[in-house]
Amino acid sequence: MQLRLLQQSLIGLAMAAILLFVSGCLWQSPDAEYRASRSIGYNTGYAPEQPLPFSHELHVGQNKIQCQYCHNQVEFSKTSNVPALSTCMNCHQQVNGSKNPDAIKKLREAYADGKPIEWVKVHLLPDHVQFNHQAHVSRGVNCSTCHGPIETMAKVYQYSDLSMGWCVNCHRQPENKAPLNCSTCHQ
Amino acid sequence: MKTTHDSINEKQTDRPQRDRTYWRSFEDLNDTPEFNQALQTEFMSSPIRAEAAKEGDNDKWARREFIKLMGASVALTTAAGCIRRPVQKIVPYVRQPEEVTLGVSNWYTSSYFDGQEHLGLLIKSREGRPVHIQGNPSNPLNKGGVSSRAQASLLSLYDPERLQAPKRNLLNEKRTNRETVAVSWEDLDSKVAGELQKGNSYILSGNITSPATQAVINDFGQGFGTKHVVWEPLGNDDVAEGQRVSYGEAVVPSYRFDKAETIVSIDADFLGTWISPVAFTKQFSSARKNPATMNRLYSFDSTYSLTGSNADVRFRIKPSQQLTVVMGLVNAVIKSGKATGVSDAARSLAAKYANAAQDLGIAPEKFQKVATDLLNGPSLVVAGGLATRTEASLQLQIAVNLLNSLLGNDGKTVIGNAGSSRLKASYADMLNLIERMKSGAVTTLIIYRSNPMYALSGAAGFAEALKKVPTVVYIGDQMNETALHAHYVATDNHALETWGDVEYAAGVYGVHQPLIRTMYDTRSFQLSLMTWAYMSKKGPQRLQTYETFYDYLRAFWKEEMAGKVAKGRDFETLWNDLLQNGSVGEVATSGSARSFKADALSKISGKQNSSSLELVLYPTVQIGDGSLANIGWLQELPDTVTKIVWDNYASVSLKTAERLHLKEGDVVTLTVNGQKAELPTHIQPGLHDEVVAVAVGYGRTAAGKVGNGVGVDAYKLAGVQNGEVVFAGSAAELTKTGKFIQLVTTQGHDSMEGRQLVVQATNKDYKENKEANIHRHHTWSIWSGHQYNGHKWGMAIDLNSCTGCSACMTACQSENNIHVVGKKYVFQGREMHWIRIDRYYTGDVENAETVFQPVTCQHCDNAPCETVCPVAATSHSEEGLNDMVYNRCVGTRYCSNNCPYKVRRFNWFNYAKLIEKPMHMALNPEVGVRTRGVMEKCTFCVQRIKEGKNKAKVEGRPLKDGDVKTACEVACPADAIAFGDLNDENSRVAKVFKAEPRAYALLEEWHARPSIRYMSKIRNNDQVTPPKHGHHGEAPKNEPAHQEGGHS
Repeated sequence: MQLRLLQQSLIGLAMAAILLFVSGCLWQSPDAEYRASRSIGYNTGYAPEQPLPFSHELHVGQNKIQCQYCHNQVEFSKTSNVPALSTCMNCHQQVNGSKNPDAIKKLREAYADGKPIEWVKVHLLPDHVQFNHQAHVSRGVNCSTCHGPIETMAKVYQYSDLSMGWCVNCHRQPENKAPLNCSTCHQ
Repeated sequence: MKTTHDSINEKQTDRPQRDRTYWRSFEDLNDTPEFNQALQTEFMSSPIRAEAAKEGDNDKWARREFIKLMGASVALTTAAGCIRRPVQKIVPYVRQPEEVTLGVSNWYTSSYFDGQEHLGLLIKSREGRPVHIQGNPSNPLNKGGVSSRAQASLLSLYDPERLQAPKRNLLNEKRTNRETVAVSWEDLDSKVAGELQKGNSYILSGNITSPATQAVINDFGQGFGTKHVVWEPLGNDDVAEGQRVSYGEAVVPSYRFDKAETIVSIDADFLGTWISPVAFTKQFSSARKNPATMNRLYSFDSTYSLTGSNADVRFRIKPSQQLTVVMGLVNAVIKSGKATGVSDAARSLAAKYANAAQDLGIAPEKFQKVATDLLNGPSLVVAGGLATRTEASLQLQIAVNLLNSLLGNDGKTVIGNAGSSRLKASYADMLNLIERMKSGAVTTLIIYRSNPMYALSGAAGFAEALKKVPTVVYIGDQMNETALHAHYVATDNHALETWGDVEYAAGVYGVHQPLIRTMYDTRSFQLSLMTWAYMSKKGPQRLQTYETFYDYLRAFWKEEMAGKVAKGRDFETLWNDLLQNGSVGEVATSGSARSFKADALSKISGKQNSSSLELVLYPTVQIGDGSLANIGWLQELPDTVTKIVWDNYASVSLKTAERLHLKEGDVVTLTVNGQKAELPTHIQPGLHDEVVAVAVGYGRTAAGKVGNGVGVDAYKLAGVQNGEVVFAGSAAELTKTGKFIQLVTTQGHDSMEGRQLVVQATNKDYKENKEANIHRHHTWSIWSGHQYNGHKWGMAIDLNSCTGCSACMTACQSENNIHVVGKKYVFQGREMHWIRIDRYYTGDVENAETVFQPVTCQHCDNAPCETVCPVAATSHSEEGLNDMVYNRCVGTRYCSNNCPYKVRRFNWFNYAKLIEKPMHMALNPEVGVRTRGVMEKCTFCVQRIKEGKNKAKVEGRPLKDGDVKTACEVACPADAIAFGDLNDENSRVAKVFKAEPRAYALLEEWHARPSIRYMSKIRNNDQVTPPKHGHHGEAPKNEPAHQEGGHS
């Protein structure tokens, strides 16, 4: 009798735990259904709302601005920088933005007030992984190899799944002559 | 039930007898069961350990708040189950600073001054915050070397307890602090400026080596009639005063340890704590690189100092014998007839010391040998430091000067005119100031960073005198013991937030650059003085004109300094060169011999009291004068000799301990000069039997959460006699209290089991056979081993250069984000240092020698750790590194168990989560922080390897030797560590691996094939090592005579 009670309560507990786990995941993720449709566990397709609706489609696709005009440190650093507001203002001193003048106004105000824009990070690597942009760009790897068709993205989304298998797959190709040590990425 | 302990005991029975040549502790030497048991329970992690049963007892040690927090972290473990990662923000600059490239570090020259030594630094800055401190290789004095304390001073910048705004203390009638309240700068300035109008003001500060700061103080003095008193707890006024009496000018001279073939040190710990240890270590070790021609160091040591442990011949003495040593040598030198300029007075004075060797208990022929060596070539005799500050310290200094003059060293290895005349600190001036304070002659006292309420003996009466001063203004960045008793605290910038300049040595100048804008509402000392002068319209024009000290500094350099050092450059070029190189000017390499004043001899009365137990106070390498006591890195840095952490103690010799029935950790009451202190006992091999040695710098009461209550304040044991503060030689009394304090040492955690880990030979052995005392093993394998086609990283460590100063440990801690765990967990063997310095004693217990050995991950080719990891978290890289993948580690600790070198460290708690803001800003962003349950270890600074390789690749050139330097290698002031590519034939490492006869691998017979080679230590003592019967595990069964009476 007691045993069955215990069994029942255990099953109940387990069910509750599973429910909690699943609902917790759904609750935590703003774009759960989209992500689930792409891959489990990775953020492929993650396209968070940004404080300013910056469109790569407009800047890169239509206006043909080079990536490195804004991401100007990508050749010198492991980090590819999100440009400072001063870089935006190089053009937007003059360009008022016919499509979304409010956003440009917001940008200029932020610049005038000295308040930085808090962009939402799209490509999240765990802290234990180190990716070096400089090493890849200097070897001639295209931005789009990892970031995909940026020039078509009105809102940036994560194109590759950035999983370890995905990294290693590329490093494994003999023509890439890339190192495969653990410490290449983990340190 | 059969316990683990039973099986351990069974195991022991068939263990071979260990070789007892080298030992780390008495427990190790005596092979006690407790010691062996402790060895078997690595990290004390056995669930059945007694500790779990009486957790209450252990809580006594967990007195520091953050250790308690660590316990809490077990409960705080978050159940992160979900896949979705948290939203992270990217916040770019509004205006891109020109010099910042995100993710790329900038290096700036700067400096560090600890009151005695000035170090030129290179400081790494990431995105505008300093994260790592190295020595500046272009500095003519420290030449890239750096001390532990200079590196750790980084943490004081981010100390959460640093003062963040000006304060006002509400003092009650008894002038003790009732409450500390906030005050605005405006209120503080108007009050202080008003008080200054009343006159009789004094500035009390430590040594000021900054010419511009000195100029501000002088200008301020001109305006307000303020007098400047300079005092340092570890000042070298005894040396300066000795120089004045002997040669006419009060100066701390420049010493050339690199030029001397024979060095005799009488308690001057020049490799550890005396005047300029980093520069001295650089000089000293440079003359020991070739064992065939290396210098010889004699040490007469009344503590077991770092210098004593590096001595080729060490004599143990007590403080009252110091003068006898020097005068005995003077006598021997005069008798030899080779001395120059011997006066009759000197001859007759020295003749009184004809029996010096007997008086000292040293074999006459050994003592005579010291004198003979001194006469043989360029030599240098030094004495100084707290341990020589007996009532006869001036006599000692004069005697040393006499000896150096007789030997013709003055002008060659002791260069008076190249020394620093800015090291003016004086106890006499301090005592004088106290007298004036007592008599009510001081109306306003401005104290700049000095901490006399802590570091001055109570007998000096500073506390009472301070009550008589109507207005006390403290300028500093910590609410320390003295600041608490000040009316106003004009909060100073941290050194890394402030501009300044430096006089490193006579004629060598530098500019001190800030690394970060002031983090809080603070103001530099200089600007405070300038502000008060401006408000009162007093002082020279330049003091009132400039709005910042930077402007004053630039103007000062333009007007007063540029003419001296510019050498034709215009000012802007000079300024930029200064900022880029860090310094300008050269150290004078020679001087002229000064004539020794005949009347100085009359001061040597020979009068000195001796007693059967003499106190010696000494500063330690890690804590120094105690001002950095709130830095966990330094508290957890094992003492260079005793390897004890988080404590100070009363060191006594084995015989004294036996006489008083004391065991390690027994608390004794130490009574000296009418003062009492309760301290745990430490039994120190090689200490004189009539000495009790206690370190100063501990027992802070207002240092902060980390430093408060660690150890006991020993400054208060100093006495005041005839206007001198006496730190050594006073009669001491020890009584056992029956209490016990667990002293925690890192040396008992593992054992070499009598195998060949450290190798020492003598110069005579080396002459016979360059591989002396190295037992080579013939190993073979059916496997050809890993192939390394690109780089193959390796390291060479020269034990003959290593002085054990431990700067590498702090460098590693800073570079690799290594956490501090606290006393309790160090006791359990859970310290996190990736590199440790093992200290081995060898020889007679009464007069043991020491050998130091830095041990880090050996990056074995056949790594035992790799084969046992069930999840392949540690694996071999194609460049010979044992990579450790933290995120793959599941924490079985099999690797650590299987590591013969015991270099792996386990994260028992989530230390990174306990980092209090803004301490997290000190973390190196190039290295991750490890989470709970993860094993970690030395990576050969893989981040630096990658950076170096990447740099070479981008520049399109092959990597060359020296492109990649590990943090420990860079910090080492003795250049004992070399890192490089073994596949590069011309690298320093490859040469050692291939051709160096002194090179050997640790535990070669295990065939782990480590990537580190050690070069044996050569002791230049003209002895011959007796041949050993067999080697590891085959030691003779008969117990060596010195084993009796050990303590467990």
